[in-house]
Amino acid sequence: MILLRSNSPAATSRLGRKLGALLTAGDVVCLSGGLGAGKTCLCRGIGVGYGAQTQLTSPSYNLVHEHRRAQYETRLYHLDCYRLGNPQAAQSLGIDDILDGSGAVIIEWAERIEPFLPSERLWIDFDIRGESRRDLHCQAMGDRHISLLADFLRALESDAA
Amino acid sequence: MTTILAIETSCDETAAAIISDGRTIHANIVASQIDLHAQYGGVFPEVASRAHTESISAVVGQAMDEADLEYSQLDAIAVTQGPGLVGSLLVGVGFAKGLALATGLPLLGINHLEGHVYSQWLADGFCEPAFPIIAMIVSGGHSELLLMRGHGRYQRLGGTIDDAAGEAFDKVGRTLGLPFPGGPAIEKAAQCGNASAYAFPRAKTDSAYDVSFSGLKTAVMRAVTLQPKDRSHRQRRAENHAQLRDDVHIPDVAAAFQAAATDTLVNAAYCGARDHAASALFVSGGVSANKLLRDKLRDRLELPIHTPPLFLCSDNAAMIGAAAHFRYLAGLRSRLDIEARARWMLSEDVYAAG
Repeated sequence: MILLRSNSPAATSRLGRKLGALLTAGDVVCLSGGLGAGKTCLCRGIGVGYGAQTQLTSPSYNLVHEHRRAQYETRLYHLDCYRLGNPQAAQSLGIDDILDGSGAVIIEWAERIEPFLPSERLWIDFDIRGESRRDLHCQAMGDRHISLLADFLRALESDAA
Repeated sequence: MTTILAIETSCDETAAAIISDGRTIHANIVASQIDLHAQYGGVFPEVASRAHTESISAVVGQAMDEADLEYSQLDAIAVTQGPGLVGSLLVGVGFAKGLALATGLPLLGINHLEGHVYSQWLADGFCEPAFPIIAMIVSGGHSELLLMRGHGRYQRLGGTIDDAAGEAFDKVGRTLGLPFPGGPAIEKAAQCGNASAYAFPRAKTDSAYDVSFSGLKTAVMRAVTLQPKDRSHRQRRAENHAQLRDDVHIPDVAAAFQAAATDTLVNAAYCGARDHAASALFVSGGVSANKLLRDKLRDRLELPIHTPPLFLCSDNAAMIGAAAHFRYLAGLRSRLDIEARARWMLSEDVYAAG
């Protein structure tokens, strides 16, 4: 478990930019933490880093937003399970197709559909520590996501240096 | 006279309407799923899609009966093509295609957001505006600020960078334990609340036309829920919802939140209208039913403010029929192989790609 700290929404968004630049098809990033923890804020940064042609906003209402970037075919799927009635409802969202490895996937309120998530993933849990301070607990499962997390940390270090 | 049958299934409502000349409503049927979702405390895409499938035929039939028309008396069939929940959109699009094929009537795929803009045309005594006008669409899924230079001519000035306005009302309402949908519930609770009891932030965005509700939502959460130091991290994860503090006076929170949210919207609308010499402001979508928002806009902007009649603020098919009328007049028709478009921004080229 890796702990990252953010002291502002802008810092959370910067973390997202670093992570977004690394995402490729097959990556699954699960996000949890209460309302206002900064999940969508991180996603906004991920979209910028990824090079999405459309801005990432909250998909709470429409449940799934699909984004593309100019040069590559890989889609970025942005899911939000806040409004979902139960985990089974995720199946009717076409979660199996979304997770078929053809795109990168980020999932807000991922804990609500945990039984339907792949075991290999990067999980980021937000902990609200103060007015704008957030702790991000990052845990990677499986080789692919362990190296994604390692690359992410390296990118943050090189930025700090 | 042009008479159009319009179908709308982009989210929680199965709706059909029959409109003449973009102005006259012959029938406007809405079968809402709000009760269904409220009952279970969430949305089930499959249930929503199935509910659309079950009711669409009856809803369209009822519209035709009420208008007392035969298909041969119609000029076109219009349907919401997007944006929205893809499973829900598919039901309406599929039904409309089938109907177009069976009747030989032309098909028009309509953008749901454009429908909201054209809900104004259905207001009593509405006069054709002098363009350009500013259109603000504020609903559960959308917060858009548009410059409209003519029929079907849109330039997107801005919108939300995070949560939609209606979504913020819903999330705050849910946290406060108020019934769904959050907008009317918060408005009602706020009536006996003190808006200065809390100093909630008005978000600053890079562009004056953009709005943000995420910071406001976070501030409300921090003010009304137990803070993390009170409980362990593990305990918080185990809960689905944050716990309300005992000393929270819900009407005050509702009033202070509503004041901040409406200020944010008014400011964006004001900047848009000021910078583009707009002749009027059109506000539509579910949140446009909010009386405080309407009052503040009238106070702040020295422009005619148009809002749709209350029954056309939330999703309906009449507005789709009104938008379709102007598409029809422009000679635009959709192919019979159109597909639902879950994401579809309203912009200058919105129909060029259609």
